[in-house]
Amino acid sequence: MTTLPKRIIKETERLVSDPVPGISAEPHEDNLRYFDVSIEGPQQSAYENGVFRLELFLPDEYPMEPPKVRFLTKIYHPNIDRLGRICLDVLKTNWSPALQIRTVLLSIQALLATPNPNDPLANDVAEDWIADEDAAIAKAKHWTALYACRPPPPSPTGPSETNN
Amino acid sequence: MNMITNLVHYILDEHSTRTGLRSQLNEMFFSNSTSDNSALFQVLTQLIPEELQQEWLEWISDGEKRGVPEGFSDSLPRVATTHLSPDDTCAICCCVYLEDSYPLVVKLPNCNHKFDLQCITLWLSKSSTCPMCRNDVMSSKTKIDTSMVELEEDWGMYG
Repeated sequence: MTTLPKRIIKETERLVSDPVPGISAEPHEDNLRYFDVSIEGPQQSAYENGVFRLELFLPDEYPMEPPKVRFLTKIYHPNIDRLGRICLDVLKTNWSPALQIRTVLLSIQALLATPNPNDPLANDVAEDWIADEDAAIAKAKHWTALYACRPPPPSPTGPSETNN
Repeated sequence: MNMITNLVHYILDEHSTRTGLRSQLNEMFFSNSTSDNSALFQVLTQLIPEELQQEWLEWISDGEKRGVPEGFSDSLPRVATTHLSPDDTCAICCCVYLEDSYPLVVKLPNCNHKFDLQCITLWLSKSSTCPMCRNDVMSSKTKIDTSMVELEEDWGMYG
């Protein structure tokens, strides 16, 4: 493994010191190119109150190539398929090396707020979305409650008391 | 046909990255620019994992638009150190230009966005757009003279 480029170190430092509201990204200790990400569902979207876990990997060619990002939490969204792969232009043809981990994650958060069934990755979901948007949104809310609202894995500090 | 064998092995290698794949395909694309290209593409498209197929097809269709001619980056105007502010940073490597005692900074035509020469050269070999504003740097009036650039030279090293 080659040494970590200065840019990745700087980006990581800033993600920690100046985190994006509603988004967290932490590198793995044993692989600083691999990040555990969580994104809060945007308010007033079908994903509100959900916390979605993602994995983000910076390939060797980064930033000449985009990061690889995938949802780990199951989500009902026309631009995210059942494997968690995301249909987002900046992750593919519209990548630019001036974009960063934080801007990519912000774009993903924006995608949650504005699903685009006309440019689908999950065709079945997009068809449902176009056929009956209200029902699709209800299903997305249901999935959010089912899969994205579970308590986070136990933290190293041990279980916390259930006080408000 | 050795190339195909290599490519098959390459595609089957689960550690291979998309970029590696692209450069392999790039290599084939240009070195086998003879009659059986369409057959080659068909075979390749089938070989490529499903999730890559669309990318591959897109890649073929806009293959000619990628990158700038060789020599373009070197023809970009230099930015003198006296014109750099202490906190001016290259958007690609995120480093402050003046942290380097001898920074080699250039600006793109039209939009005038500045980058380290080394950083922007690497990007322009893949795309002809400005990383900051996506302006097509080749749409500039200042066409560079590519007649002296031997484009085959670079591909030759793969042949």
